[in-house]
Formats: sequence, C-alpha cells, structure tokens
Amino acid sequence: MLVAASFLIAAAVGVLSFGHSTKREVASGVVLGALGAATILAALGFCPFVSDAESTEGVLGVALAATFAWMFGAGTKAVFSQKAADLGSGDIRTGAFKLGWWWPWLLLSPTLVILVFFLYLPAYRTFTLSTKLTRLGTPRVGERCLSNFSELLVTNPAVVIMLPLTAVAFIWGVGMWHRRSEPGSWGHNLTRTIRPFGILIFLYSLYFIFENENGGYRLIYLNTVVISSSIVIVSMVAGLALAYLTFQNVRGITVYRTLLIWPYAISPPVAGILFFMMFNATGGIFAALANDFGFDFPNYATNSTLARLTIILASVWKLLGYNLLFFLAGLQTVPRDQIEAAALDGANAIQRFRSIVMPALGPIAFFLLITNLTFSFFDVYGTIDFLTKGAPAGATSVAIYELIRVGVDNGDLGRGAAQSVVLFLAVIGLTAWQFKQSEGRISYGSA
Amino acid sequence: MKKLLALFVALTLIAAACGNDDSDSSSEPEGGDAADAGDAGDGGDGGDGGDAGDGGEAAGDEPIQIEMWIAFNDDARLNFTLDRAAEFNAAHPEYEVVVTPFDSYNTVFEQTALAMDAGNPPEIIHFFEAATQDALDAIDANGDPIFKSVTEAIAGRTEILGEPVVLDDVASAAAKYYTIDGQLYSMPWNTSSTTMFSNMDILNEAGITTPPATWAEVEAACEAIAGLPNPPSEGCITWPNHGWFFEQSLGQAGVDLANNGNGRDARATEISLNSDAALEYVQWWSDLEDAGSYVYTGTQRDWGGTAAAFNSQNVAMLVYSSSDTTVLTEAGTENGFEVVSSFMPYNQDREYVGNLIGGATLWMTNGLSTAEEDGALAFMNFFSNPENAALWHQVTGYIPITNSARAVLEAEGWYDENPNSAVASDQLDAAADTPASTGALIGNFVAIRDVVTAAIEDILVNDADVTERMASAQDEAQQLLDDYNELFG
Repeated sequence: MLVAASFLIAAAVGVLSFGHSTKREVASGVVLGALGAATILAALGFCPFVSDAESTEGVLGVALAATFAWMFGAGTKAVFSQKAADLGSGDIRTGAFKLGWWWPWLLLSPTLVILVFFLYLPAYRTFTLSTKLTRLGTPRVGERCLSNFSELLVTNPAVVIMLPLTAVAFIWGVGMWHRRSEPGSWGHNLTRTIRPFGILIFLYSLYFIFENENGGYRLIYLNTVVISSSIVIVSMVAGLALAYLTFQNVRGITVYRTLLIWPYAISPPVAGILFFMMFNATGGIFAALANDFGFDFPNYATNSTLARLTIILASVWKLLGYNLLFFLAGLQTVPRDQIEAAALDGANAIQRFRSIVMPALGPIAFFLLITNLTFSFFDVYGTIDFLTKGAPAGATSVAIYELIRVGVDNGDLGRGAAQSVVLFLAVIGLTAWQFKQSEGRISYGSA
Repeated sequence: MKKLLALFVALTLIAAACGNDDSDSSSEPEGGDAADAGDAGDGGDGGDGGDAGDGGEAAGDEPIQIEMWIAFNDDARLNFTLDRAAEFNAAHPEYEVVVTPFDSYNTVFEQTALAMDAGNPPEIIHFFEAATQDALDAIDANGDPIFKSVTEAIAGRTEILGEPVVLDDVASAAAKYYTIDGQLYSMPWNTSSTTMFSNMDILNEAGITTPPATWAEVEAACEAIAGLPNPPSEGCITWPNHGWFFEQSLGQAGVDLANNGNGRDARATEISLNSDAALEYVQWWSDLEDAGSYVYTGTQRDWGGTAAAFNSQNVAMLVYSSSDTTVLTEAGTENGFEVVSSFMPYNQDREYVGNLIGGATLWMTNGLSTAEEDGALAFMNFFSNPENAALWHQVTGYIPITNSARAVLEAEGWYDENPNSAVASDQLDAAADTPASTGALIGNFVAIRDVVTAAIEDILVNDADVTERMASAQDEAQQLLDDYNELFG
C-alpha cells in the first residue's frame, strides 16, 4: 500500500517540480518522479515498507521517495532551462576547447579528485552507514533500514508527516493571502506581520516530531535551535554595534580594534577553557571574587539556563572579533557622500543607518550569517566539550556534540551517521532558506 | 561518462594500493625460533596481521620497538611508566619500549579502535576494566582476534628474557575479575577499589570520631556537620557521578548487574539497571542531594572537581577511587587537615557482600613476531615485578598488584606508617567470592555506563523520578547490549 502511495506522491511531486504546462511536460514529470522514487527505494531494497504499514519508518520511506522525485524533476528542469537560456540569449556562454573535449576535464581533475575522495565518497559512506548497525572491528554488520532515523522521531507517523506539512501549508497560505489582498487592507497588514515568523512556526512544528522520551532527540533539537540561533543573532548584532563604534575617529582607536579582534585568533576549545576558568563555581575567578564580597556565585554546571547562556557567551565572545573585522571592512565601503547628502537633507543618525549603511552592508551581513551559522552548528563543539560536556542532563548537548558522543565516544557508527545526516539536512535546508530570503534583497553593486 | 572516467582512474589507484598491502602481508616471514618451539599456541597465528615494525628483527643493531599506549598523562603516573620503560630499555638494549600517553581511558579506547581499523595497533594497550568484553571480542579486518591471551603467550614459562613471570602471583580480587575461561587475557596493572576519604578535622569538630560506615551513619554525620557553626561551604559529601560507584553499590548488595552470572558463565544478554538494590542506591543518592548533603559538581565523571572540593575543605567527605590515596592524604597534610580512608559506605538494611575492583590492564596485540611478543611480555612482567608494583602502590594508592609486592610493603612497615594505603586491599579481601562482588562482564559497557550517569544526572539536576528514569535508562542500556550482542554475540 505504502509502495503505491510513494509512487503516486512521487509522480505528483515530479510533475510539480518539472512543470505542467503541456501534456509532454506532465508525462515527463511523472516518469522522472517515479524514476526518482524507484532509484532510492530500490537502493534501500524497499525496506521501509516491510514492517507494519503505519510505522514512522514507512512514512520516512514515502518522504524519501518524494524528495528524490523532486530532486530528479527539479534537477532535470534546471538542466533544460539552463540549456534553453544558453541557446536563447545572444551572449556566448558556451564553447569548445580547441584541444579536445577532454582538456577541461584534465584541468578540472585535481579538484574533482579532491572532491570525490574528501567530500562525495565520505558523504556517500555516511549515508550508507546511517542505515546500519555497526562498530569498528565487528565480525558482522546489522541492517537497520531507516530505524536509526525513525528512533529520533515520535512513534506516531501521522504527527511526523502532518505537523511539518501543516506548518508549510499555513505559511504558504499566509503568503498567498498577502499577495492577493489589497495593500492597506487589514488582511494585508495582518499577513505582513505574520510572514516573517514563518520560519519560527516551521521550527516550532519540528519540535513536536522529535522523540521526547528520556534520551530522545527533542532536547537536542531544542538545544541546537536555541544555542545556535542565539549565537548567530547576538554575535552579529553585537559585532555590527561594536564595528560602528570603533569606526568612529577616537584617539587610540587602532588599539581598541586590535584588542576587539583578538578573540578571533583563539580556538573554540581554548575559549571553552577560558570561560571555565572564569565561571567555574568551585575554583573560578568570578566565584572567588563573589566569595570575597560575600555573594554566592551560581553554579552554571547544574543550571540548564545558565549553562546555555555560558556556552552562548563564550561562543559570541569568540565570534565577535571575526564579525567585527568584516563589518569594519564593510563600513569602509559605505559611500561617504551619500551619508553626507542624507545628513544635509535632514536625515537623523538612525535613518541614515537604516537607509544607507544597512543596505551597503547587505552582502557582508549575508556572508557573515552563513559563516556564523556554520560556526554555531559545527565549531561550537570544542567550546562545549571544555565548558560543560553537554551537561547538565544534556541541556547543552547540541546536534554536533550529540552525534560525536554517539558515533565516536560510544562507537555506534550507524546512529552517529544518521544524526550527521539529520544535521546535514538541517544545514542544507537553512542555507537554502537563507538564499531564498536574500534573493533580490541583497545587492552586490553590479546590477 | 567523463566523470566515470575520473572515478575509474581513482578506483584503479585504490585497487592498486590495496593489492600492494595484501602481497606485503602474505609474504611476511615469521622468524623460526628454535628456543620457542614449545609454544603450541603460537603456531596458528603465523603470517596473519603482518606488522610494519618487523624489520628490526633481522637488523640486530636497531632495537625492536615495543609501543605502549597508556591512559595516564599526569606527572606521577606517566613518569613512573616512563622511568620503568627507561630502566627496561637500559637492561635490554635490543628493545625499545616507547610510551605514548593519552588523557583518559575513553580516549585510548577510541584511538585503539581506530588504529585497529587501520591495521596498526601498538604492541601494548592499556584498557580499563569496562572495556574487557569489547577487547575480548575485537577482531581485525581478517577476522582474527586483535589481542592475544597473555596466559597463552607466556605458555607456562617462569621467566622471559630473564624477567621473572609474575602473572600467577596477581592479587586475588584482580585475578578473579580478569580471569576468563580460566586464563588471564591481559596483564593486570593498576587496580583500585572505591574508598571513602574523610576530613577528620571537620568530623571531630562535629563530634564524630570514626568515619561513617553505612548510609545511615553518613546521613547522621552530615546532619551533625550541617549543624556546625562554620560548616564546609559546599556541603557534606561528594563523589563523581561515574557508573563505577553504581556498580559498586550493586556489589555491596550482592545483586548482579547482568544475567548469566554477571556475564561470567556465558555472554551477558540482559542487563538490570533498575533492580531494587539499584533503585535504593540512586534514591539514597538523590535524597542526600535534596537534603543539601551531597554536592553535585554538575559534570559527569568529574574526578578533578570532586577531589578539588575535598582538598579545599569545601566538603567533609569524598567517596573516590583508592588510586589517589597517596595524593589525597598528602594534599590534606599540606592544607592542614587529617585525611582518614575507610570502606565505601553501604546500605545498613542489606547484608554486605563485597566491593569490586576497578582500574585497567595491559593487553598485548595479536600477530606479533616471537621477538616482539617476548619483549612485550618481558616488559609487562618487569613492570609489575615486586619492587615496581610496590613503588607503584606507594606513588598512587592502587593496590599492590601481586602478593609478593604486598609482602615487600608489609616487610618495610609501609602500612603501619600509611594506614590509609591498606584500606583498598582490605576492602577487596573482605568481599565474598560471588559474581556480584567480582564485577560484571558486559559488551558495550562504556556506553552503558554513560546511560547510567546521564540518568543519575537527570535525577540529581532535574529531579526526575528515580523509578521512571531508571526504567527508561534500563530500556536504553538493554538496547545497547542487544545491539552489541547482535554484532558480536
């Protein structure tokens, strides 16, 4: 039953992603969608559908089939539209090497070899490992199909599939309403206020699809969202504010700048050790100072909120210098004459900042957003390991920390790989969303 | 098509590399040593798992390297090991023992797993007791065991390269723990038990003359200490949240952690984290924390933080590993207070059965040449000869690993001068000979211990319900054991 459902859904997704203006397009979409579904399901040996029909694993199988259908459909479409664009436009965008077709491949080969061996093969290994039960040095390997993934989710398959879909439908509906309503009408205004919160609604819906039983992934999800987003937001806002301050001409400004950039040169584990030395409740510097003044210094290690705040603080401190550096560089490119002109026209400092400085910093801010996200998802490991080790009771264990604990410390390669696939998908999804959000809003100055 | 070509080229390269490997190891010569012809056990292992370091055998002037990985990187323990290695190298110039320190048992365990996967593990590896089953089960890419039984390799010899064999003299608690199918697969080294350390200055001030021996006495002592005009700033008692203490409490109660005689009659298939005895211990622990007597540092396996709290007199009592008896006693003297060591407190409502050992042993890799194997065996026996074992005990507080080492210490009058140092050995001697007080053999034990400590942390920090939380920990641990047995069983 589920097999049929996955192919039906896959065909529909194929059509949606490929196009449906002509009969031929619809037919190609159906074929591509079915092909996509068949590829992944055959690779898995149709294992998600072996057990009882209503399992989370089965739902994951359908979702996987739909994803591959979309990849095949949208991928083929992209190739075709690229070719069409190449043919249609007058610009010369294609050509051939005089020396033969193999020449570009030869030039590309060093890069390709590196990509294949250090990126694609390990990634492929991770995907295959994630469907297995295995450790280093085992006489045999257990087949796990998708259970390494379904374990992370709640057991009710309806919740897993319906919640995110409902959230997406809601956000989509709000967007639709916004576009169709009269500007100035109450509906238009309401939807305009709701729209920016779409991502939050979606993230909130995901919260409920993760297993909540003790040792479940929901806590890890919550930690990751809270800690990572706080790090990114605080470090970017503070970085911009400090950059704006140090951009002023004050005596000795270069000294301030240098000092502010300094933390960037420190590695995340060292940042962890430094903050441990400061905040540790038994032997820390602040605890000793507080003691001298007769205060009782709180122990961040036994308080979830304090522990998270400490991790965020240490990471922000570490990232601040980096952000400051880039924002400073960005501020140099803000056209002085425009600011002066605006000032003459009577725009106050806030207006000038909003209308001139912010847009000019757009590309830099976007770049920083991506790099900061990467830092907060991956590099935060070192800080956490030296500061809290995921304690108390897992309250500071983010996705990267948990997957290393499971996959490396406990040697459970399959579950570790499954978690790293989840993290991979999350980062891909977030980055794609960022790109979509910034489309057309960020000007790189050429157009 | 073009991508395929690139891929093909790459694959050919890999295939070529693999091919080279195979031809190397199959053509490996295994030196014909007439002297060791009697070793029946060796015959079968010839040829497989070729080792890159074999070249030294033929050369003669180049010493044969014996690599040793240990889990200690603190000055006292690392220097002891380095000194012994230097002495051995001086006495046997044809060998060179090279010691590589790691920061914890877990790190050595992980690094060894990776080295084994890559096919180049060191000759001697320092594994903790929880990894015993995993070490026994570990195999290399060819399906051969990674480690070779030390008993089998010694094959009844009484001395190797002039170093007397001390394997038969190992203290009984350690021998019991590590003897599997009648033989010692690894060479026992650092062995300890859980003992309690009391700040007698604080206890005396509260009117207590001997350290508390039972849970009820601990509670009473903590009440008295809390009533002092100037009680220790953090609380009354602490110990690390480490799975070992949980296991000790089961040993004291005489309850097995796993089925099949704690995994000693046959492979353990069922674990029990929520037996009555286990729940009683965790409940007591949690109550003690709720009462403000027990101090949780907030970090699992926090040896450093708990010891620091005791040394700085911020707590009055510390349940710890006897491995640090010497250091803790001396730290007390330096900071101006008297430290008395005593048995780990037990539940007065249950009959006391016995505490178990903890610590680690030295494992020898399989597939070594005879010369390498003899070098490794000679070093391990030299390392724990009576003088060295006695010195090791004096430097740290680990029990003297052989009976003769203990005899040396007794003759010296060491215990009369250092009564704290005798506590661990006495506690182990007092234990009944049951599977529960010997300790469990379980696969995936390291991960299972983490499940226990995570659950206890949840109970201590988030006030999770003891019965419910231990039940879910039980499910998690059983899953880990089932997974392990599916792969290795």
